[in-house]
Amino acid sequence: MSIGKAEAKIDGLEKIDGSAVFVDDMQRPGMLHAAFLRSPHPHARIVSIDTSLAAAMPGVHAILTGPDLPIEYGVIPVAQDETALAIDKVRFIGEEVAVVAAIDRPTAVRAAQAIVVKYEVLEPVLTIEDALDPEKPLIHENRRKASNVLRRVFQKYGDVDAGFEEADIILEDDYFYPGSTHVPLESQGALAEVDKKGKLTLYSSTQIPHYLQRALARILEMPAKQIRVIKPHVGAGYGGKSDPFSNEICAAALARVTGRPVKCILNREEVFYAHRGRHPAKMRLKMGITKAGKITACDFEAVSPGGAYASFGVVTAYYFGVFMTLPYKLDNYKFEAKRLYTNHPPCGPKRGHGAIQPRFALELHLDKLAHAIGIDPAELRRMNSVEPNTETCNGLRITSVALRECIDLVKEASGYESKKGKLGPNRGIGLATSAYMCGALHPIYQNEMPQSAVQVLIDRSGSVAIYSGTSDIGQGSNHMLAALVAQSLGISAEDCVVLEADTGLTPVDLGSYSSRVTFMAGNAAVDAAEKLATMLRESLGQKWECEPERVRLLNGEALNLDNEELRMSFVDAVILSESSSGTLSAVGHYKPPKIGSRFRRQSVGPSPAYSFTAQVAEVEVDPETGIVRIDKIWCAHDCGKAINPTIVEGQIEGSVYMGVGEAMIEHHNFHANGLHRAPSILEYKIPTIHETPEIVALLVESNDPEGPHGAKEAGEGPQLATVPAIGIAIHDACGIWLNEAPFTPDKLLKRLEKAQRSQAKAAK
Amino acid sequence: MSEMLPLPPFDLHHPESIEECTALLQAHPDAKIVAGGTDLLPSMKYGLFSPPTLISTKKISELQELRSNLNGLQLGASLTHLDLQKSPEIREQFPALAEACSQVATPTLQAMGTLGGNIMLDTRCLWYNQSELWRNALGGCLKCEGSVCHVAPKGTGCYAAHSADTVPVLLLAGAQIEFIGPSGTRQVALSELYNSDGLKGTNTPPNELLTRVILPKPTGTIAYRKLRVRESIDYPLLLTAVRVDRDESGACTGGAVALSSLGPQPLLLENEVSEHIRSGDLEGAAEAAYRTAMPLSTHNTPSLWRKKMVRVEVRRALNTLFD
Repeated sequence: MSIGKAEAKIDGLEKIDGSAVFVDDMQRPGMLHAAFLRSPHPHARIVSIDTSLAAAMPGVHAILTGPDLPIEYGVIPVAQDETALAIDKVRFIGEEVAVVAAIDRPTAVRAAQAIVVKYEVLEPVLTIEDALDPEKPLIHENRRKASNVLRRVFQKYGDVDAGFEEADIILEDDYFYPGSTHVPLESQGALAEVDKKGKLTLYSSTQIPHYLQRALARILEMPAKQIRVIKPHVGAGYGGKSDPFSNEICAAALARVTGRPVKCILNREEVFYAHRGRHPAKMRLKMGITKAGKITACDFEAVSPGGAYASFGVVTAYYFGVFMTLPYKLDNYKFEAKRLYTNHPPCGPKRGHGAIQPRFALELHLDKLAHAIGIDPAELRRMNSVEPNTETCNGLRITSVALRECIDLVKEASGYESKKGKLGPNRGIGLATSAYMCGALHPIYQNEMPQSAVQVLIDRSGSVAIYSGTSDIGQGSNHMLAALVAQSLGISAEDCVVLEADTGLTPVDLGSYSSRVTFMAGNAAVDAAEKLATMLRESLGQKWECEPERVRLLNGEALNLDNEELRMSFVDAVILSESSSGTLSAVGHYKPPKIGSRFRRQSVGPSPAYSFTAQVAEVEVDPETGIVRIDKIWCAHDCGKAINPTIVEGQIEGSVYMGVGEAMIEHHNFHANGLHRAPSILEYKIPTIHETPEIVALLVESNDPEGPHGAKEAGEGPQLATVPAIGIAIHDACGIWLNEAPFTPDKLLKRLEKAQRSQAKAAK
Repeated sequence: MSEMLPLPPFDLHHPESIEECTALLQAHPDAKIVAGGTDLLPSMKYGLFSPPTLISTKKISELQELRSNLNGLQLGASLTHLDLQKSPEIREQFPALAEACSQVATPTLQAMGTLGGNIMLDTRCLWYNQSELWRNALGGCLKCEGSVCHVAPKGTGCYAAHSADTVPVLLLAGAQIEFIGPSGTRQVALSELYNSDGLKGTNTPPNELLTRVILPKPTGTIAYRKLRVRESIDYPLLLTAVRVDRDESGACTGGAVALSSLGPQPLLLENEVSEHIRSGDLEGAAEAAYRTAMPLSTHNTPSLWRKKMVRVEVRRALNTLFD
């Protein structure tokens, strides 16, 4: 059995010993290096660009500016508003204005600095208020609608007014969730080369080779078949490498212009400008509840100053609202979400895309309601859990649910009952829950083709090659594919080689985003491997004169279930089958089921399955400083089925770690003039091991009927409940609700002092 | 690997003696001394300054010596933070200095960064320690390329923060520092070194070399605390060192407090706090320190909170010496 086995990743060792090759490790003869000139203004018109000084510098091979790459693009087809280099206008500090290719990086950097740009400075739009003010300048002037609102989404389900009528208690509150960024260890990097026939190969640290190939074809006006995108090892993404990026397009364009390989790697500061991180969200939430604990209605508003370009922003606006109907039963719901343009680096998808912010508001809010009606908050969540095989009021089809198991497990592991409200002064415990998608039902560009395909080829040596367009960015999808194929063939994952993420060689996969890979590529892998297992069983059945169903592939052998004497090694079985039926190869694919929704507009949000999570955080508050120490976090996650429990635990730990950073210290924040407050990893603080609590990962398996061997997802869902669990624990410790993350000491101390003053006043 | 932030070009000299080094300083008035380089080189990569010449102290073995005699310790300026943590003399006589060294940046940087480098560390500010692109977008600041201090736009000086982890402890230890220059050797009290204007940082002529730190026999016990957002890889939000002096009977005779990263100069408080400490009024000492502290917005962490922390940190540091 390779499913459920806690074993080392098949590609783990090469990352430990340093032999894994990342884009920046790659060298080519005659390779040029690229560097950008970036905008120093948040909003300005480009009057002129003079590249003559730079072009005359020795070692400079080519310089491109905006008009050289005029075709607009964007990862979402309905919001194509970017160009690789700014044309006519710059829209945020750090935007790419020109790019230089030179013999080495220092020459390229110096040449870029020698480019002279004249700007006419425009009034920047830097706040929610300004972005909503029709009197303020437009950031994008040629849109159909003259507005800085990229997308407004309004949806209404059930009878919200009647729901509030029914409520015994109605609570309304404001929340703010800050922007944050991914901080992958590896920055965005690309290396492009063009062969003698004009065929372009781009190596990139991308999460989306397929979408990138399409974007390059469009922007460079080349047939897609002339473009090959290869993703080598990637040092993590967390959503930050899910867009086509300027450095990829410019590397490709410069390679075409110069005829030489061109490498374009972002430095760390540039990663903060490329951004595509968490959208900040100002939220208002109103909920009604009966004394018995029934949630009767929910009215939610969110608005996000999302930066200068759309990226995934249209989808973010939907995600803000659509997942609020999970994981609690809710019949009456409405929401309004707005994603705005502002003169900041563009926000995009970050782990838990669009769902983290509303989850923070909802979980804190629900805890407040639980206190108001006097029901234990964990019990309130338990009793309201959605049921398996139901549909939410906004048309999300629910299959497997093990939320109650998650709550029970995490309560028991943490000693919740004996701790809640009983830990003494300044210590507290909090529980929160969440749900997340397992891939989007609908692809980013509308089509009826599979979302994922996997080809499996068995060599007569017994070695198995798996070809897949998936992008392993560290999360372990290569191992997932190997383990699933190995399971079908009765061999071990180590016997499989995964060749992935090469648009020229591997069958399509849409990319590593929205927690889709295990569910979709996993199902495609099982589809292919089962076809091969059937071929093997049929050959053996012929030889052993038995029904193929009586042949079992297990532990590197083929067995006859009815006769212990009849057994054969996997290699011999392969040779037998190849001799009788020819080369052993099969392609499998996955297309999400057609789930009819009652709501035509509901195109963003539906997923073939949902994961569920319950988390408990235990904290200690220092009342003199406001510093919160997180002692421990327990996270029980319904991942459907843990294909490799070690990797699932790693995903849970990584998710909780990221949640701790967002809860406590991370803030992608700007000065009033649009300048990034901390564009470095010295000043943009992410937790070190010292700030990271002990994390207990608990796996719950609901065995989803449609997931590969029951698997759902583990890469994003476990982050959702971390921040609210910490916020709720802080309240348990000191009685203060912090409706704004991160929970920095200055904020908490201010509130503690205020509470002290009002207590003192009351005592008088 | 690509050079992500290229260094500006410079000449590098490796003198092997103090004499050779001071001669080079004379010959290259624009030169900068580089020891561990852990702060200098990142600043040069940011283009904060581009000295045409760097003079490395790495091969001057004299600067790596730690001598002990009846009067105290003499620490060579090139001793690293790691050397000091490992030194039996430091651990025995000045454990707070070993503690301060152990909280600098990360173990890797502690093995590179030197005592002299820490003492001569440039002041830091969130408006200054940024890339050329960033500073260009800002229009520069008083300390670099501009005319306005963004921390105090109406003021005339620069308020970049003194951020040297070891200095508060050294101040309370009564450290003297030795410079060698064209006119010979001179010793000054460390407390005289720092300037109230963050632009200048230190009161030293550029052609002198910091060679040694002289620590007299300890007069009291020192405790040290570093407040920062993270427990590693972080510059300080507030550095607190306190000293409690006791006579032979163990009775407290007074003490002192040193604070840093609140402004361009470290603060050394003796008269303001000594009587409070002598009488065991730790809250009084903490309150006195709180009143002198005037942090400004040189960090992303709000300055009002940093000021409030002075009271807490001083009291907590003193508490550890009164158990």
